[in-house]
Amino acid sequence: MFPRWANYLLPLLLLAAAGGATYVPLVVFLGGSPQTLAVGYKPTQPVPFSHALHAGQLGMDCRYCHRTVEKAAFAAVPPSQTCMNCHTNIKSDSPRLTPIRESYSSGNPVQWKKIHDLPDYAYFNHSAHINKGVGCVTCHGRIDKMEVVEQVKPLSMAWCIECHRNPENNLRPREEVTNMTWDALIDTGKTQSELGSELKKQYNVHDMAYMTSCYTCHR
Amino acid sequence: MPSLNENLRGRDYWRSLEQLASGPEYEAKFAQEFHGYDPDGLTGSDSGVSRRSFMKIMGAAMGLAGLTLTGCRRWPEQQITPHAHQPEGFKPGVPVHYATMLELSGVATGLLVKSYDGRPIKIEGNALHPYSLGATDPFSQASVLDIYDPERLRSLVEQADGRKSQRSWEDFTTFAKTHFGTLKLAGGKGLAVVSEATTSPTTLRLRQLFHAAFPQATWHVWEPLNRDNEIAGSVLATGNPLRTHLALDKAAIIVSFDADLLGSHPARLKLARDWAKGRLSADEGKMNRLYVVESNLSITGSASDHRIPAKPSAVRSYMYQLAAALGLSVPATGEVSGSSKGSERDKKTFAALVADLKANPGASVVAVGSAQPADLHALGHAINQALGNLGKTITFTAEPLPLSNSESIKALSEAAKAGQVQTLLVLGGNPVFDAPADLGLQQSIKSVKQIITLSHEINETCAASTWSLPRAHYLECWGDGRAWDGTLSVQQPLILPLFEGKSPAELLALVLDLPVQTGLELVRETWTAALPVMGQEAAWRTVLHDGVLKETAWPEVTATEVKLPALPEAGKGAELEARFVSDLSMYDGRFANNGWLQEMPDPMTKLTWDNAALLSKADADRLGVKNGDMIKVDVAGAGSVEIVALIQPGVAPGTVVLQLGYGRSVTGQVGAAIGVNAYPVRTSAGLWFTSATVAKTGKTYTLAATQEHHLIDAVGVYGREKRVGKEKESGILIRESTLAEYLEDRKAAHRSAHEVIPLQLFEPPHTFNDPHAWGMAIDMNSCIGCNACVIACQSENNIPIVGKESVVKHREMHWLRIDRYYKGDVENPDTVYTPMACVHCENAPCEQVCPVAATVHDTEGINTMVYNRCIGTRYCSNNCPYKVRRFNYFDYHAKGPHGLPLPWLNIPDQQQVQSIDPVKQMVFNPEVTVRMRGVMEKCTYCTQRIQAAKISAKLAHTAGQRDSELVKDGEIVTACQSSCPTQAITFGNLNDPQSRVSKLQRNNRAYEMLDELNIKPRTHYLAKVRNLAASTLDEHNREAHVGHEG
Repeated sequence: MFPRWANYLLPLLLLAAAGGATYVPLVVFLGGSPQTLAVGYKPTQPVPFSHALHAGQLGMDCRYCHRTVEKAAFAAVPPSQTCMNCHTNIKSDSPRLTPIRESYSSGNPVQWKKIHDLPDYAYFNHSAHINKGVGCVTCHGRIDKMEVVEQVKPLSMAWCIECHRNPENNLRPREEVTNMTWDALIDTGKTQSELGSELKKQYNVHDMAYMTSCYTCHR
Repeated sequence: MPSLNENLRGRDYWRSLEQLASGPEYEAKFAQEFHGYDPDGLTGSDSGVSRRSFMKIMGAAMGLAGLTLTGCRRWPEQQITPHAHQPEGFKPGVPVHYATMLELSGVATGLLVKSYDGRPIKIEGNALHPYSLGATDPFSQASVLDIYDPERLRSLVEQADGRKSQRSWEDFTTFAKTHFGTLKLAGGKGLAVVSEATTSPTTLRLRQLFHAAFPQATWHVWEPLNRDNEIAGSVLATGNPLRTHLALDKAAIIVSFDADLLGSHPARLKLARDWAKGRLSADEGKMNRLYVVESNLSITGSASDHRIPAKPSAVRSYMYQLAAALGLSVPATGEVSGSSKGSERDKKTFAALVADLKANPGASVVAVGSAQPADLHALGHAINQALGNLGKTITFTAEPLPLSNSESIKALSEAAKAGQVQTLLVLGGNPVFDAPADLGLQQSIKSVKQIITLSHEINETCAASTWSLPRAHYLECWGDGRAWDGTLSVQQPLILPLFEGKSPAELLALVLDLPVQTGLELVRETWTAALPVMGQEAAWRTVLHDGVLKETAWPEVTATEVKLPALPEAGKGAELEARFVSDLSMYDGRFANNGWLQEMPDPMTKLTWDNAALLSKADADRLGVKNGDMIKVDVAGAGSVEIVALIQPGVAPGTVVLQLGYGRSVTGQVGAAIGVNAYPVRTSAGLWFTSATVAKTGKTYTLAATQEHHLIDAVGVYGREKRVGKEKESGILIRESTLAEYLEDRKAAHRSAHEVIPLQLFEPPHTFNDPHAWGMAIDMNSCIGCNACVIACQSENNIPIVGKESVVKHREMHWLRIDRYYKGDVENPDTVYTPMACVHCENAPCEQVCPVAATVHDTEGINTMVYNRCIGTRYCSNNCPYKVRRFNYFDYHAKGPHGLPLPWLNIPDQQQVQSIDPVKQMVFNPEVTVRMRGVMEKCTYCTQRIQAAKISAKLAHTAGQRDSELVKDGEIVTACQSSCPTQAITFGNLNDPQSRVSKLQRNNRAYEMLDELNIKPRTHYLAKVRNLAASTLDEHNREAHVGHEG
């Protein structure tokens, strides 16, 4: 009744099913993971501001612009006024700075694109982390080398929890939080885990049970 | 349902008449966790979609979603928009509080408003304001929602020949210049103004300028909830219009004749605080005693120790009896007409009242409600004089408000009818809706050529106007006012007008064509006189910070001689009297489009989204009326109104209570046609009560009352009672004692409770080794059920409103509800309130049944709810003995209260962002997640406030500004706690033995509700103590005993 080649259909179907069974989960888990979706997110901003130039070559402190990072939940993207502090004199007619000048004179804000965007049910507080000795570079990467800012860490819950379970791997002296090149061994002569454990005690960092409680981050 | 008559014994405490009557059908309600839940449509549920068909559709939808991988992409792009020029000291995401005030009926109450990145989002009381003292009421709590009402009057509208056209302020200014210019030349002839009552110095100053510019113009004031009788009474008694101030904190005996001191009095927050002082002192062995004689069961009546139900006109005979007993010459009065069944009890109570007053000269307060006629107010003053209270517990100041609202609006109506008014300027208020019915204002103003109305929303008066001008919300404009005692208060805006509204003062300035027209300049000009010349700017800054200018209360007026007016005989009164009451949700109707207030259960009836005619059980039986029957209330000489009947325990026989403010015909979609308008039967002669007749119409109506929702089954108590009887109850919910018992035995309240053996079958699952252990104490002795906490919680935690249809299905979302229990006589029950939110059990039953660990403990003892883990099985709610968990059946924020649920299959990840009106979104508290459909939620002890306090303590510690990282007592104030006028709620750290909450939990009155379950709730309740008069104790004990045997 069936032609002879129909016999090959069954193994073919099985093969396809097996292939599908590996392919679909792979697509879902790899394709949907924050690694794939978030890391490397690098949108074009209205003004091609270069962190590599300002924070890297010029060596400006992060807190010159992100001034509320030690005091508030948000690190505060600076107002146009802050840019104009220097740019009224320096490169005052650069066409790339037109949006800033327009904003400064009209009062309308520059619409920066948000890169590090947590879900709305996660409440991250910059000040709480900075004051316990978590460095900028730990989450944001080598900003001082970025011509265009991109996301380098997945900012997923699994990634957050890793540090909330073992904070000593990411603690540094408070004075060094904005230092992009700090290294425990080079700068203090101690291994990161030794120094981290000391600082954890010194800075009253909570234990794991507290740090992994839901309401620590979710409200 | 078994007949109510046949079995009125039931349980000691009951929430509704149905529960009192008990019966198997009622008990079945306990067994059913989710009202009407019938997943397979086996009992013919009308939900339309059975579980099977739902699974089919969802299965197909999931399949499709899986194919296209729509879920797997980065979420929508968001912008960061910093200021162009940043204000000094501004920190994004750090809330700032500003002092301001809300004026209702000419009385200003101070507020502290939280601004988040420039948006006002939460109202708190201003502790520096003498008539807020840090507390708030539901009106001010909910008022923030009104700014973000998308259905506000959003632009100027000119209405001519039945056509409406949108106009700008420039258009109006051009019109006003010529129109009012012409009027000015004519000396203001034909111009009339009608305004709300106000004590705003700026508005009053401009009013003077107005009269100077338009000498022949008339100015009328109309407040439907006016205090005309009170003011007229003071004129009768002393010859001068005086305002009465009651010092409840100095009074041992408080007697209220139909005065709702704690509920609708303009100084309610201060009165409640002062009253509560005399309740919380129970532990020191002394308490005040509150007697209330009233027709409707008000929240003051519910908080009283003794209450006498009396129909409105019968208050007169009670007052005559009291006056006679004090030796005043009043007309003789016969037998006081009390309630039919309880008249013996009422007589005893009244005798105790008289004896108590006589025994406490100079330390009592006799208050008369604004609904009672002027001569009784005068008599009240005479009684207080006879008791020696004047100058001690009762003081007077001059009354700043106009003598008579009724006369004022009547004059306007008559002038309009006579064609003497060509231009009418309505400076706020809604007279077309709420003026006395006999004036026929709606008809008489038809002859007025230009009606210019300033209004926050599109209301009935706008509909009759030629110009409708948007009024700025009080959080959008400058203003000022005076507190109940005259203290100058300033109204400071937090945001520019969203829809280019103007304040009444700004509109007046425009009409007068003043050189100065902005709100701030107008207010500053007024205040120049009040502030010192030297350092004026600094003084003004202080006023802005404090919200008040200290020591500006009116000077006390001593009333040396109180004259007794001519008093008529106390008649029998009509057989049935209609009593109009101000509603605790709608006020006079202005809050009709406020969903929070519409859905707030009335403290007594627990009605949402409706009003009803409240009847006593005796009258209902006589008339053959059941709950939900439509009745026709016919008011002599004013017509009739058809309204649904509700039997309300405690309403005096012979009274039908009508709540004002409902039944708005012209307003937004939220409030239009909600409830029945009672104003059409309210006349100038019967502003507060009048004779009426009631007839059944034969129709019925469904009410959404929450009184039987979320019933707490005291652990199978019904079954056990059958076996072992009621002596020594286990799982007893409400504990109370009398003061006498309490002084004898400090544990008296727990006597009837079953002894709890703290036996654990297994180790407790948590150790809680954190230095903070959060806990709460709620004192039932001072809770008055005012609902401020309910709305504060709603505002703080982004709790949606669900609409009437969903409330009927028990789906209201309030995290904090106030359970109201009655006890005893159905004609005059005792009332107890228990504010009920998640009690954060240490050994929580909800956690044990969650299949996905979406509700777990944190180290500080909070039962956390993790929305993003929840899959919506609702097992937790089923297993919660306190019934405090709420499930999001729909995307309520997007759906709106009367809207259709959004289609299930349309699930893009941005649904909420797209479908919630952007104006409505502005009220959200960004510190709290806005929950989606399909997740469970509940009280979090305001975890966002806890986190904020902890982080700020740590930062301050790092900066060397404090010794410890630990949060100090009082640094965290939950939303409910901060709003409470009587300070019944206390929150804090249980690990600190000196914290207030620890002390309260060690109090003799403290108990864990359902303690026998051994689940260790972190919230403890403090038993109620009633200060009953000794002479009534026998009666009380006998009744309690009968109750027990029943």
